[in-house]
Amino acid sequence: MRGFSMWKRDGDFSLNELFKRNSFILSAVLIIGVFSVINPKFLSLYSLQNMSLEIAPLLPMACGIGFVLYSGSIDLSIGAVASVACVIAGTYVTETGHWIILYMVLFGVVAGLINGSLIAVLKLPSFIVTLCAQSVWRAMAIIISKGSSNTIPIKQRWIVNWATDKFLDFPVILWISLALVILCLVIERKTELGKSIFAIGANEKAARLAGVHTIKIKILTFVLCSTGAAIGGIMYAYKLKSSVPTIGDNLYMMAISSVALGGTLFSGGSGSVLRTLIGVISVMAISSGMNMAGVNPLWKDVVFGCVLIAAVAINSEKGGRSLIIK
Amino acid sequence: MSSEALFTTHDIGKVYGTNTVLQDINIRVWPGEIVGLIGENGAGKSTLLKIIAGVEEPSMGTMQMNGQNFRAGSMLNANESGIGMVFQEQSLINNLTVAQNIFLGREKQFSKGNFIIWSKMNAAARNVLNAMGLEDISEKAKVRDLSFAMRQMVEIAKVFDIVSAASNNHALILLDEPTTVLSDEEMVVLFDKIRQMKQRGNAIILISHRLQEVLEITDRIYVFKDGKLTAEVETQHADEAILYEKMVGRETNSEYFVSDRQTVPAQEAVLEVKDLSMFGSFKNVSFNLYKGEVLGLCGVEGSGKEDVCAVLCGDQAKTHGAIKVHQRKVDFKSPSDARDVGIISVPKNRREDGIIDILSLAENISVANYQKNAVYRLISNKNQRENAKHWVRSLGIRCSSVNQRIINLSGGNAQKVIFARVLDSECPILVLDHPTRGVDVGAKGDIYALIRSITEKGGSVLLMGDTLDESLGLSSRILVMKDGMICGEFDCPADNKPEQVDIVRLML
Repeated sequence: MRGFSMWKRDGDFSLNELFKRNSFILSAVLIIGVFSVINPKFLSLYSLQNMSLEIAPLLPMACGIGFVLYSGSIDLSIGAVASVACVIAGTYVTETGHWIILYMVLFGVVAGLINGSLIAVLKLPSFIVTLCAQSVWRAMAIIISKGSSNTIPIKQRWIVNWATDKFLDFPVILWISLALVILCLVIERKTELGKSIFAIGANEKAARLAGVHTIKIKILTFVLCSTGAAIGGIMYAYKLKSSVPTIGDNLYMMAISSVALGGTLFSGGSGSVLRTLIGVISVMAISSGMNMAGVNPLWKDVVFGCVLIAAVAINSEKGGRSLIIK
Repeated sequence: MSSEALFTTHDIGKVYGTNTVLQDINIRVWPGEIVGLIGENGAGKSTLLKIIAGVEEPSMGTMQMNGQNFRAGSMLNANESGIGMVFQEQSLINNLTVAQNIFLGREKQFSKGNFIIWSKMNAAARNVLNAMGLEDISEKAKVRDLSFAMRQMVEIAKVFDIVSAASNNHALILLDEPTTVLSDEEMVVLFDKIRQMKQRGNAIILISHRLQEVLEITDRIYVFKDGKLTAEVETQHADEAILYEKMVGRETNSEYFVSDRQTVPAQEAVLEVKDLSMFGSFKNVSFNLYKGEVLGLCGVEGSGKEDVCAVLCGDQAKTHGAIKVHQRKVDFKSPSDARDVGIISVPKNRREDGIIDILSLAENISVANYQKNAVYRLISNKNQRENAKHWVRSLGIRCSSVNQRIINLSGGNAQKVIFARVLDSECPILVLDHPTRGVDVGAKGDIYALIRSITEKGGSVLLMGDTLDESLGLSSRILVMKDGMICGEFDCPADNKPEQVDIVRLML
């Protein structure tokens, strides 16, 4: 029922509703349309390949935080988690080889367990917990990297080069990301975890009384989110072939914007991985499009700030129970 | 008593959706009179007071205050016309002082420029308290430092001050169960104050579940039943027996409750509760629930029955005692644990605790047992929909499709979906907390029949009926709770139901 509801029969059918639920597709088409008019090369293969390099690391992050947003909470720490993963992966991949991927995924799991336990067991607000986690992990990234970006020495670049090699015209990490999207889609639609996340987001009290393991599910939701963030961070390290301690500073903004542009209600209980995929494409189209149009990169964050507000304003149900943070 | 009525209502009614909660209410209150409203839970007493106080809009009918047409619209308007209400749940703000609470929203009279002159406010608050004879309450004390009774007094003083300013001792004060949290001595003090207000010409309408109290303080009593005004009695001509009779006086219709399908429970106890206690709510509750039985739990609100159910379905933690399911000792910390041992509930507040509003019917049904529709642990949405369709057919749920959002269903149909959910969980023990609350008559009948088929198939039901009638009609056995303890047990075979009056006497 969720996702492309346009193609499903639905009991609450109305034209207005139809437009509202599927406006995210319209906005994606509009954004891409505008930029291809400004710059006809926008949709050239070369441009698309470049864009896909940007899309790849953002996808797992956006899909991960999507779950948290469907459950009605928020995670502001994903950018910082990605920074830590990027720094450690970039610094140590030359020593450990690809085992670093596993270690960093585990780091993501642990970061998520900490967030999730504080929020679900101690019942602290997710906004505060993850804001603090953001501060901690961001500082850790800087401490570990001693405050500067470090490039992987040219001699050892071969270890990570495969990530940006082309497979069927597109970089390998894009294919990995798409595989992760499919995994998230399965979690969303086919597992008890996914279904429970939506039930909790829509009405936590009722879900709990119906026998949903709310505490366990909420912790797992944050684990999914932080793991996605860590994977994003690793991808940045492999893609940039360096460790960048500030890489994640704006990423949580981009990831949340992506989910919002996908038409997810921040009050919880709605949204889908496919919508988030479209949202990521929209966000990256804006970002790359502005680059190609020669806009000063400093303006990017201004634009994303406004885009996020606009997307949430358009999608929010104006009723009383739509709150960003529960 | 003057000849002019202070306040009258004409054919006041209130309808929520398809559900009529109040119908054709005509009451009349004279100055200097205390009027009592009695009736079972859900009889419409509180709703009427809320309409008079401007908290709720009436769906029909008119009201008059001092001979003039009166339409509250808001509490503020009602206050200006001299009507004030003291609520069941206290509405004081705990971290403010008594004076600040009394003049909350009316601070302007003490301000100079944009600043409030606290000494002036405190002095005025002192006067208000003194006028009520509350010399022992400091106007500077924080409300959280006062006892419940004191808070109640402050609340009444506040409301009284608001309305008396507007009405020159022709105020109408509405009290919704003001005594539930008070001790006997505190009650005496409260009644004293109420009588003083009365002597000055004000009128009071009072809701109470304690009949002795009502008999002691009121001049006249209105009896409510199922949203209708069924009797009016002069207190001097009434005693408890008369009031009981008027409160419950309706023939129990055995056909309505499908009594011919009432099961005779098996000997096998599926749930054994021993010395169950929850600190501050109930203690030493022991009973058995047998296979195929409907066990009714009766008691007024606050008797502890709600918390017994909350503990049994894992929503609250017990402080003491043991629970056995199928002879096995169980211990659960959450509703999911309870579900895993075979207990699931239909919650009382359907909108808040029952429906998962923006999800579909199919999702709402399968939430208690996702794995039922899974193939190799991956849930099949097709199975989920087919399963939902099966329930829609067998329970007669009216909907446009199983993908419809549950929030768009009527109360009765939404409740049937909740029943589908708990039946789908295949739990043998169901805790039904007001299963027909806010459900229209037709759906009620369907739910009664459904409860019968549950027990016919060997399920067991712990029931808290929406009315005593319902508990009595459906149950095979009834437990009565009062003040946190079980104080009586009645067998209710289909052909020999006990008298309601006997049960009510134990409840109150």
